Amino acid sequence: MSRNLSPRAKLVLYGVLLVLAIPFVFPTWWMVTSSLKPVADIFAFPPQLLPAHPQLDAYQRVFELQPFGRQYLNSLYIALVVTVGTLAVSALSGYAFARIRFRGQNVLFLVVLAGLLIPSEVTIVPLFQMFFKLGLIDTHWPLILVPILGAPSVLATFIMRQFFISLPGELEEAARVDGLGRFATFWKVALPLSRPALGAVAIFTFLHSWNLYLEPIVFLSTPEKFTLPQALTQFVDAYGGPMWNVQLAAASLTALPVLVVFVIAQKQFVEGLAHTGLKG
Amino acid sequence: MSQTDIRVGGAQAPPTAARPPRPWWTSRRRDQLAGYLFIAPQLIGSLLFVFLPLVLVVWYSLHEWNVLAGTFDFVGPDNYSALADDPNLGSMLRATGLFSVGLVVFNLALALLLAVLLNQRLRGTIVFRTIFFSPVVVSLVAWTIVWGFLLQDNGGVNGLLDTIGVDGPNWLRGEGTAMFSVIIVQVFKNVGLNMVLFLAALQGVPAELYEAAEVDGASRMRQFWRITVPLISPTILLTSIITVVGSLQVFAQIAVLTQGGPGTSTTVLVYYLYQQAFQFHHFGYGATLSILLFGIVLALTVLQWQMRKRWVFHES
Amino acid sequence: MVKRGKGLRIGAAALAGVLALSACGGGGDEGGDGPANLRMTVWSANEAHLKLLNDIADEYRQNHPDVSGITFDPLPFDTYTTTLTTQIAGGNAPDLAWIFENSAPDFVASGALLPLDDTLKKAEGYQYDDLSPATLKLWQDGGKLYAYPFSTSPFGVFVNTDMLKKAGQKTPAELIAAGQWTWDAALAAASATQKATGKAGLVIRDFDYKGWDNLSTFWTGWGAEAWSADGKSCGFAAPEMVDAMTTLHKAIFTDKALPGPGTTADFFAGDAAMTITQISRASLLKDNGFAWDLVPLPAGPKGNYAVVGQAGIGVLKKSKHADAAADFLAFLSNPTNSAKLAQFFPPPRQSQLTAETLAKTNPKLKPEQLQKVVIDGITSGVVKPNHAGQAELSQQVRAGLDPLWKPDADVKAVLDGVCAKIQPMLAK
Repeated sequence: MSRNLSPRAKLVLYGVLLVLAIPFVFPTWWMVTSSLKPVADIFAFPPQLLPAHPQLDAYQRVFELQPFGRQYLNSLYIALVVTVGTLAVSALSGYAFARIRFRGQNVLFLVVLAGLLIPSEVTIVPLFQMFFKLGLIDTHWPLILVPILGAPSVLATFIMRQFFISLPGELEEAARVDGLGRFATFWKVALPLSRPALGAVAIFTFLHSWNLYLEPIVFLSTPEKFTLPQALTQFVDAYGGPMWNVQLAAASLTALPVLVVFVIAQKQFVEGLAHTGLKG
Repeated sequence: MSQTDIRVGGAQAPPTAARPPRPWWTSRRRDQLAGYLFIAPQLIGSLLFVFLPLVLVVWYSLHEWNVLAGTFDFVGPDNYSALADDPNLGSMLRATGLFSVGLVVFNLALALLLAVLLNQRLRGTIVFRTIFFSPVVVSLVAWTIVWGFLLQDNGGVNGLLDTIGVDGPNWLRGEGTAMFSVIIVQVFKNVGLNMVLFLAALQGVPAELYEAAEVDGASRMRQFWRITVPLISPTILLTSIITVVGSLQVFAQIAVLTQGGPGTSTTVLVYYLYQQAFQFHHFGYGATLSILLFGIVLALTVLQWQMRKRWVFHES
Repeated sequence: MVKRGKGLRIGAAALAGVLALSACGGGGDEGGDGPANLRMTVWSANEAHLKLLNDIADEYRQNHPDVSGITFDPLPFDTYTTTLTTQIAGGNAPDLAWIFENSAPDFVASGALLPLDDTLKKAEGYQYDDLSPATLKLWQDGGKLYAYPFSTSPFGVFVNTDMLKKAGQKTPAELIAAGQWTWDAALAAASATQKATGKAGLVIRDFDYKGWDNLSTFWTGWGAEAWSADGKSCGFAAPEMVDAMTTLHKAIFTDKALPGPGTTADFFAGDAAMTITQISRASLLKDNGFAWDLVPLPAGPKGNYAVVGQAGIGVLKKSKHADAAADFLAFLSNPTNSAKLAQFFPPPRQSQLTAETLAKTNPKLKPEQLQKVVIDGITSGVVKPNHAGQAELSQQVRAGLDPLWKPDADVKAVLDGVCAKIQPMLAK
């Protein structure tokens, strides 16, 4: 499909791509510009593409109304811990399911894989009960432990397994012949080779944790412990009336840094994801 | 913690091997043990955070649980017969099906279209790839809140349509357009993911095949259906499984955009479950709906997995 | 095989243990002897509200060493009842909780709350009889009071007088003086202003074609009600309701007096000429915005009327320190503190329901506004619709009313449909 195109075809193609780009760019554009508008201008019709009276009040209000910096930190550190933990758990078990032969392997793999089929909404009530028994309600533990060990990490394990299967096994066998134990083989030989898959899993996992919404609203109740998605829905006046520009300012603050990181590292992002072994 | 255990186990393995092994302590057994230790964290986690809660959900589904009064009474299959008689069951299943089918069709079609467009020899495709992928990294709730504003009757979408002379509908208030809106918002959010996977698959298709087809005089369309689609069919299958399973778990979007309305037109299973359990406090009935959800996901996955034999071109 | 069987049995035993644990969750909390750490869930994250509550709590703790701490836990407004119930379900019930009027029947009837009469009556200088009986009604069951109605907030009409004048309309104050402040006049003014300025006419705040219970501020003027006083029969198909809704439908879709579905207009941002909301929203008015007024609801075909929203504070029976919590509630709601809370929340105390008292703490409102809207409203007001199982009922009504919000809707048929949906639930 990578043949040269005629200039006319190129022009058409650019046109199509530009039109298709609108719904991907416009929301972010609107979010950022509207956060700079006074509330009265947000619903001006037709919409203003640039704020007529730009102001930064809303951004100041974000930090006044909520411990937003703290909440930012919460989301960030939870996502990082979950990512590192998931990488460890999924690389180990993905490797074992791909490479090591042990009794009950297939059954156990299916058992683990079944976690993919269980939406978190299904188990949220009993999980709440369990964490309550452990005295861990209104702490970050449920948001860290469940993704690392429970259903969300299963996709990661699946990706890792697929990747390890696709790796040629000769190097590892050579290492084994040289007397390396299983863990050393995994750690020194297989893991360094699996960087692309690890990258993909890291991105998936980070975004999943970063996006969690139902779990935080169920498990957390102190504003200092809130995560960002939860905090975003909190920007209302005393009686639930939304404070649109403040909410949009908070949403912008949530989205922009990640977007910037993404744009800088987009090559690693996209290509890392492409090599997930999800090709079959 | 468990990781450290494994590391110790693994590191100790070579010295053990140096000793004269006891008859049953073969290297094969040792390897088996390593296997069990490697999967232990995941397996224990699954049992603790997936299967135990699932068993508990089954247990709850046999009870009438009044949270406020603090009563928890065994009612046997009552919740299941209530499910069968639920007047909302039909519309809820219909909405769920519509959402899933709509999401999969639009998502895969758009992802494939974008991937094909970006696979052309063209300057600046990386810029577009970045643009199409960017919503994936935007927080879901932020994305949905913004679309909620844009889809208002006097919101940005209709404002844009107005500039090209189109009088847009009241997106979130019409029965058909509300469902369409929720689907589209979700498609734009995540289509980049599938697009990237397709792009990688497309780049894996050998160029010689197209050259040969060109020589045979096959049209581009024909090449696409005869060469491209079959060769990337494993990716299509996997993305479709992930998208379908994901579509059944849609929650934040519905909660922010439509709250299940207008009428019950966007009340999908998960949202209904949330309503019953956490809003109407029917935890027993909510648990019963969880079981239904689990059954549907299971059935769909088995079905898709079976279908792979039929239409997936090759298996690695 | 033998091994595996044994493993299974151990697993099953462990499972049974956990099941038993979770099944009797919540029960059997040991009575607290140590210093109590009280937690109260609130739905306001407003700094001024929280500061006032914390100040009162600090004062209380100075004389009560047995209470080591009192925290106020703001939960999101939109999902407040949901989150609260989830916490109770998980056994993490707060000691005290704010409760909305629409979930009052559920909480009051469930037995989840501690009866308060004795504690409050015994409290020093409490003046229990000062509490207006009208405000207590919703929170009583079998002669016992289960929550203290700390806020009884009437609905009024905020008016952007600048906008009305610009559109050449008479202001409500002028209409009131002429004895013409009726829904007909209000809707006509709203419609004319919309046509003249392009802004929205009248906004029923928080209705947004979902929060239908806010429409009771409208239909009560027609003598309509969502359901009968005993909660047993549906009122949506009654002739009064059909009349009210026909008027409303015409006002929205023909006269454009109200913004249509899916259109956002915020009065306080200057997008609308009038809005119906509770007086506490006066805090949203900017000092340098526009000239405004607050007036009572217009008269309907059945004459003058008032509608109030309520909120109560209850003590959870499950609390380990229920007695300490009730004692704190008695302190929080004593005459002194009630007067302090009055700046945000209209109190149930008759002695404090005077224009002078309220004016001290509501600098934005004039005494006659307070008298007309607040005091008259509280004494004569109808509480917004509430019923046991409100969340589910409310959802059904919302879904049932959705077909009404189209230009060509058949009002009578839609309302009949609503009753067909909810009557079986009401009759239960």
